[in-house]
Amino acid sequence: MEIMEHLAYGFGIALQPINVLYAFIGCLVGTLIGVLPGLGPAGGMALLIPLTYGKDPASAIILLSGIYYGAMYGGSTTTILLNVPGEAASVVTALDGYQMARQGRAGPALAIAAIGSFIAGTIGIVLLMFLGPPLAQTALKFGPTEMFALMVFGLSMVTSLAGRSLRKGFVALTLGLMMATVGVDLPTGLLRFTIGIPKLMEGFDVIVVAIGLFAVSEILLCSEELGTGEVIYQKVERVWLSLKEFLQSVGAILRGSVLGFVIGILPGAAHVTASFMSYTLEKKFSRHPETFGQGEIRGVAAPESANNAAAVGAMIPLLTLGLPASAVTSVLFGALLMVGVKPSPFLFQKHPDVVWGLIASMYIGNVMLLILNLPLIQLWVKILKTPPRWLFPIVLAISFIGVYAVNNSSLDLILATLLGVLGYFLRKSDYPLAPVILGLVLGDMMEQALRQALMISDGSLRIFLDSPIAMTLIVVAVAIMVAPKLLYRRGMAAESEG
Amino acid sequence: MRPEGRLGGVLILTFAIAYFIVGLSMPRSSLGDPLGARAFPLVLGGLLALLGLSLAVAPVKVGGGAEGSGRPSMKAAALAVLLCVYGYTLPLAGYLVGTILFIGITAYLLGERSWRLLIGLSAGVSVGIYLLFTQVLDIPLPAGLLEFMKG
Repeated sequence: MEIMEHLAYGFGIALQPINVLYAFIGCLVGTLIGVLPGLGPAGGMALLIPLTYGKDPASAIILLSGIYYGAMYGGSTTTILLNVPGEAASVVTALDGYQMARQGRAGPALAIAAIGSFIAGTIGIVLLMFLGPPLAQTALKFGPTEMFALMVFGLSMVTSLAGRSLRKGFVALTLGLMMATVGVDLPTGLLRFTIGIPKLMEGFDVIVVAIGLFAVSEILLCSEELGTGEVIYQKVERVWLSLKEFLQSVGAILRGSVLGFVIGILPGAAHVTASFMSYTLEKKFSRHPETFGQGEIRGVAAPESANNAAAVGAMIPLLTLGLPASAVTSVLFGALLMVGVKPSPFLFQKHPDVVWGLIASMYIGNVMLLILNLPLIQLWVKILKTPPRWLFPIVLAISFIGVYAVNNSSLDLILATLLGVLGYFLRKSDYPLAPVILGLVLGDMMEQALRQALMISDGSLRIFLDSPIAMTLIVVAVAIMVAPKLLYRRGMAAESEG
Repeated sequence: MRPEGRLGGVLILTFAIAYFIVGLSMPRSSLGDPLGARAFPLVLGGLLALLGLSLAVAPVKVGGGAEGSGRPSMKAAALAVLLCVYGYTLPLAGYLVGTILFIGITAYLLGERSWRLLIGLSAGVSVGIYLLFTQVLDIPLPAGLLEFMKG
């Protein structure tokens, strides 16, 4: 088969000792970047591009993509252990992962995240080889109309994140959408809601908001529990994953992998959307949805798998069409240009060494990461034994580097602190925080897509009726948003409302 | 039913109205852009106002759902102020000096009383983080007061 020949050729390149070394360095540095709170894959890669100077194109891209999956793997670590998300996509993992850690099950949570990532990554690569080119063509059919519908669909995920009150969930979601409207309005160049503060012209960066709302508020809340004698962490019952837990999660991992891959191909906030959606899917179809949010292992397995599969899926528009469709692939796009490879629809023909070398190195990188990460779990879990009075300031000091790195601005640090105070009060009043991130990530793309669609149709909403893809997505989204209410009326959801 | 629930609704309603009013001041749609810059924000403002109103009139009835122990504490407030000061002075003091002070003061605030640990551990951890980023990852951090040490 042709694909197998290409793959063999790719392995020939990826298995050259120097490239294996680069893949290893990439995975190692990437894991470190991912584990350190605040530095996500895109930011981390952009900062580390200098490492690729003077290397040949295949090696440079193997090194950078190693950093990419390493960061995706590592991103879940501090999320699970400390409720400090390494990047936006990990926000959902925190819901159940952190609960597991509080119950003394940090080890199994980290293990299922690593294993899920490995399985999803591998499935993603196989799908990439066989389905990449045809799927990329379908994704091209996604115009603004379909993108808007997809964003609405994404927003409907709020129902699974809302916690006890759907209204409070919608408040959080709307706050996130409002944050997305702050800054320069691209089509008109107008400044919106900057209330005279120059800093706000750039708008809210997701990393700053995620670190502020989650990490800072978490530590503010925990610091006041310190004096009350309640032991917050320290408890580690079991480090290893049991076979039963693994079998429970397999379905979630497989579903998350496929869903994540497909969403990854679509342009935009692929990882974030993928992890939110797979979590919702698992919760909706679970026989015990009430266990989600209480330390349900599937609530960790599904989003972690989805976000790694999405990382692979996001490569498709880049490799097959030469389009950077996400923050991370934009960085890769820039790096390719720098080493003299122009991304285009002809990348497969013109630079087979880069493309197939990269695909083969993904297989190698995935295996490396699994081997690297499973033993590290024992080390990470020890973090929980650090006394909180030391752990908290250290985590904040490292998180602040990530926030600072976004714009090299100390104002971002103050913004993160203020958002932390906001998060603190929201949590004290039982408002969920994950929907804020969902709204912030999707808000801007959603508004732009809607405006572009209406520009095309000259203001007529018919354009949505004319697109079967858009209509389907919107109908399903509305059904998801309305369904809990209807179920509640019938009394079926009575027990979960308690 | 806790009174704070109602207060939250009122605060949200107030914020939504303010947001809506700022939104109204933006120009109407322009040629070729039927929605313009203000339609989306106005919808959001309206939606949040409705949600705030509904929460103010009929607060969510939840017992003990919220996190943390009731009223905001002085400790959390002090930590927030400390973070602002740390963030603001970071480029001036430099990451290393600023972080040693921040970690030390925070650990003291959270209950550490051993001076040997306060000085040794704050300095050790900060130097470790600083070296990790600047030397291993090659990510520059503000040098601040230590600028003169750079070659």
